[in-house]
Amino acid sequence: MKDIKNKKENNKTTRATLIVLTVFLLIGLGFVIFGDSKISNTENIVQNVEVRDGTQYVTVNARGGYLPRISSAQSGIPTKLIMKTTGTFDCSSSLTIPELGYRKMLPQNGETEIDLGVRKPGSLRGLCSMGMYNFEINFI
Amino acid sequence: MKKYTFHVSGTHCASCKILIEDILGEQDFIKNPKVNLKRETVELETESEKSQEELASILTEKIKNNGYRLAVEKEESLEGDGSVLFKAIPIGLVFLALFFILQKSGILNLGIGGPITPTTGFIIGLIASVSSCLAVVGGLVLSLSAKVSEDNNNAVDKKNFTLFHIGRIVSFALLGGVLGVVGDVIGINFTFTAILGLLASMIMLLLGLNLVGVFEKSKVTLPAGVFNFFRKVQHKTLTPLIIGFATFFLPCGFTQSMQVAALSSGSFLSGMLIMLAFVLGTFPVLAFLSFGSASFAHSNYAPLFFKTAGVVVIGLGLFALLSGLAGLGIIPPLFNI
Repeated sequence: MKDIKNKKENNKTTRATLIVLTVFLLIGLGFVIFGDSKISNTENIVQNVEVRDGTQYVTVNARGGYLPRISSAQSGIPTKLIMKTTGTFDCSSSLTIPELGYRKMLPQNGETEIDLGVRKPGSLRGLCSMGMYNFEINFI
Repeated sequence: MKKYTFHVSGTHCASCKILIEDILGEQDFIKNPKVNLKRETVELETESEKSQEELASILTEKIKNNGYRLAVEKEESLEGDGSVLFKAIPIGLVFLALFFILQKSGILNLGIGGPITPTTGFIIGLIASVSSCLAVVGGLVLSLSAKVSEDNNNAVDKKNFTLFHIGRIVSFALLGGVLGVVGDVIGINFTFTAILGLLASMIMLLLGLNLVGVFEKSKVTLPAGVFNFFRKVQHKTLTPLIIGFATFFLPCGFTQSMQVAALSSGSFLSGMLIMLAFVLGTFPVLAFLSFGSASFAHSNYAPLFFKTAGVVVIGLGLFALLSGLAGLGIIPPLFNI
């Protein structure tokens, strides 16, 4: 009898430990999934917007995700988006920009120019077709 | 004619009822086996003069390959269903965390320059098989394998999995060749692929919930008709072949890149070789997932394995579903892996 009681007590404590462990793991998983990775944060500083001959060029690198993740650009001037690929085989090479109805496979290596026209203030988002990589351009 | 009631253990799905009744019904000395899933009992009539204990062990021999056991007394198990789930959830979460850490680490983002040869195709296949594509293709393979192993014995599993992999490899080689010939005339439609991906993620969620045991707990059992249909379909030789074939169209950035490479390769042979090399690269991981499932499913760890697989599959299914919807522009993206 005592044995069974002990076992039941043991089971209770194991279960409590497992629940605590589960909660911790869920929090950790949340950080992993929703947190920004360090690499993209440092790369965000890189200057990727330039104006040449009255046209604004926003350059975004596509490989294993999009860099920089968030760019900020001027609204009200003709803008072109340049997607740079360097040996890109993952999802980031199949680009979609839902707002423009744009869907295209980028070449494995090279630069693809996409005409964005004159943008109003607001943000424009691009994603890979499976949806797990995305980038944003904020027009101010 | 005598009537006996046995306690049955290992019934984790609505289809188990049908399976046990089928197997017991095949024995000529057994009449009218009736499984009660809620009470975990089997009632049957028999002409045999053997004692109930002897019958229990004889019949257990017949169904133990499928993970069921009959007993006269209800087995007092210390490992109640609940506590298995309490272990399975953290283990599943660890696997999910490892998977997402691997994606975020950037290890997989090596750029591969130069023209695509079968060799680079093979390497890209290896990378793809542990990339985020694993969420869709691997998750689907894991959930289907676990489900098939749950309902069948080892030999049937192996046959099904072999057919699945044959279907997958043949479709990649063949369709790769076709892409090489047809060239730029056709493109694989993005929306079609995305919708197929959503379908796959919903299948994963459904099977995952089923593996975890939500349907038996909440008594929300799918109608037996659905399970009957599922059982019939999964015993057809063609089913695993077709599913394997269809994986060619599942959304995966790497697969799409290789399809484009095959498109621009210009000949049947080169298109075929590129896709064949790619699919062979993905084979080790997928083979591990399917055949590994089978060996776990028929071991002593079966209950824990099914529930852990269920947790992992639900996680991957949710990820695939939410990113698929984001990819179609239906919801804003929730994560950036």
